[in-house]
Amino acid sequence: MSFRKIKERIMLGLIAILALLSAVPIFAIIFSVYFEGMKYVSLSFLIDLPPPPIGDEVGGIGPALAGSLILIALALAIGGTIGFFTGLFLSEFSHTKLAQQTQMILQIMVEFPTIIVGLFAYAVLVLPLKRFNALAGAFALAIVIIPYIALNVKEAYKSISFTLKEAAFSLGLSAPTAYLRVLLGAAKSGVLTALLIGMAKAAGETAPLLFTILGSTFTYFAGLDQPIHAIPLLIYNFALSPYERWHQVAWGASAVLLTIILTIFLVSRMIIRGART
Amino acid sequence: MNTDKAFRLSLFFFTISSFIIVASIVVSLIATSYPIFMRDGLSFIIRGAWNPVREDYGILPALLGTLITSAIAIAIALPLSISLAVFSSELIPGKFKIIMNNVSDLMASLPSVIYGLWGLFVLAPILHQFVMMPLHMHLGFIPLLSTRPVPTNLFTAGVLLAIMIVPFASSVIREAYSAIPYYLKEAAYSLGMNRWEVIRMMLGYIKSAIFAGTFLALGRAMGETVAVAMVVGNIMRFPKSLFDMGYTISSLIASQFPNAEAYEFMVPALYGGAFMLFIMGLAINLIGFSMMRRMVVHR
Repeated sequence: MSFRKIKERIMLGLIAILALLSAVPIFAIIFSVYFEGMKYVSLSFLIDLPPPPIGDEVGGIGPALAGSLILIALALAIGGTIGFFTGLFLSEFSHTKLAQQTQMILQIMVEFPTIIVGLFAYAVLVLPLKRFNALAGAFALAIVIIPYIALNVKEAYKSISFTLKEAAFSLGLSAPTAYLRVLLGAAKSGVLTALLIGMAKAAGETAPLLFTILGSTFTYFAGLDQPIHAIPLLIYNFALSPYERWHQVAWGASAVLLTIILTIFLVSRMIIRGART
Repeated sequence: MNTDKAFRLSLFFFTISSFIIVASIVVSLIATSYPIFMRDGLSFIIRGAWNPVREDYGILPALLGTLITSAIAIAIALPLSISLAVFSSELIPGKFKIIMNNVSDLMASLPSVIYGLWGLFVLAPILHQFVMMPLHMHLGFIPLLSTRPVPTNLFTAGVLLAIMIVPFASSVIREAYSAIPYYLKEAAYSLGMNRWEVIRMMLGYIKSAIFAGTFLALGRAMGETVAVAMVVGNIMRFPKSLFDMGYTISSLIASQFPNAEAYEFMVPALYGGAFMLFIMGLAINLIGFSMMRRMVVHR
């Protein structure tokens, strides 16, 4: 075998090994989370209050799960609306200078450290209200998901064929009817995927919640101006606590969170595949 | 038409809200951190101190921690992400390619708190026992490996960050790789190059994409908060080696903020840290974006 041939074998083998190695962690993580976490997950785990740090009480993550669902819904309502219309603007007025600059700002927002968004929400919504509150958390999450939704909605509307757009407008429809009724049907799967991406992001983010919602352990929901809990925040707090019992709850909560993320991921893949065929 | 005008106007307002948000974030960072910069000036960022009782703050150790952990992350992630990109676009058939890309996308969408939990309870003990302790025992005379490691330290944080940023870097590289014109590849093969020689040539062709991917991944690594805060050790001192416990700017903010309200200058100091993080991240991302744009023009 020539030297060139040997070198080719070695390098291709090295690439394959490194590539497979980089995919090992995701499987290790999924395995660990379900192996460690599933032991504790049951229906009552999803509903009950967290256990005291010491003792045999199993407890649950009820307040955190309820809080996460509320925060996700609020973040999607705020961030989804702003993101959707921004994306529509980017797609339909892409020739304007404003669209190009918005694109740039959104890309910067995607790369923004999310902890800075948390500090911002603290400054504008926690300090004035003198209380940690659900709204501040939802606001911070909304800021985090706006760029993801906007950029994906833009792609969805961009992918509609020009003839369809022409047809919609030649019917004499007003712009809102054309974009939000007729063309939304054509962009449906893309827009849905965009919202799902935003939803997954809102479900998993922790840093924006650290200084905004506090994490009330014993109430499910007391009002938008009151503290609220969330699953990622519970995992973070409990994992860093010194109590074995709370570590177990953190693993259980991770199994729940991972299931939510995996479900959203699979649904969005199915939508994408359905749209292609 | 009136509805059209109103519709356009509302689109316009939604669109500029992103500008308003980013501008307000910058303003709030500057306005809140202003007292610490006025009081201490540059010494806030070129000294190491964290003594709330004496209101004495200097964030240099945390800045170094951010640079060290992200440097470790890039050093590990770069060969991995190039391999992953090449592997999935060149070496495996279509069906596996889709699976591989899906796995990579899933890695990118996993919450960082799950990475942190796994890093703290699974990765850190493994690294401690099988990597850091042996390295320290046998190569401890090298200054970089001289500290006797505990499971959570800068090195663990760097490795965890590497795992987290591989999918980002590799997807940028993957996209550029698949956009290389096919005739180049054909020409290379017709010259008698073997597969590795073709791959090497193609990687040379997308050099700027590799740089862009690296810079964007670096920006992510520097801003990552909770996963790092869970495995970095959280101690404010100048790191003596890679195995020393430490802080990064973002983990400093995450773990110190809960008691910051009690002191006069701690909130400004933490916002000052966030402002430094913002500046560094912005600079790195702008470099990354400009390289990406050059890539497009180049094509």
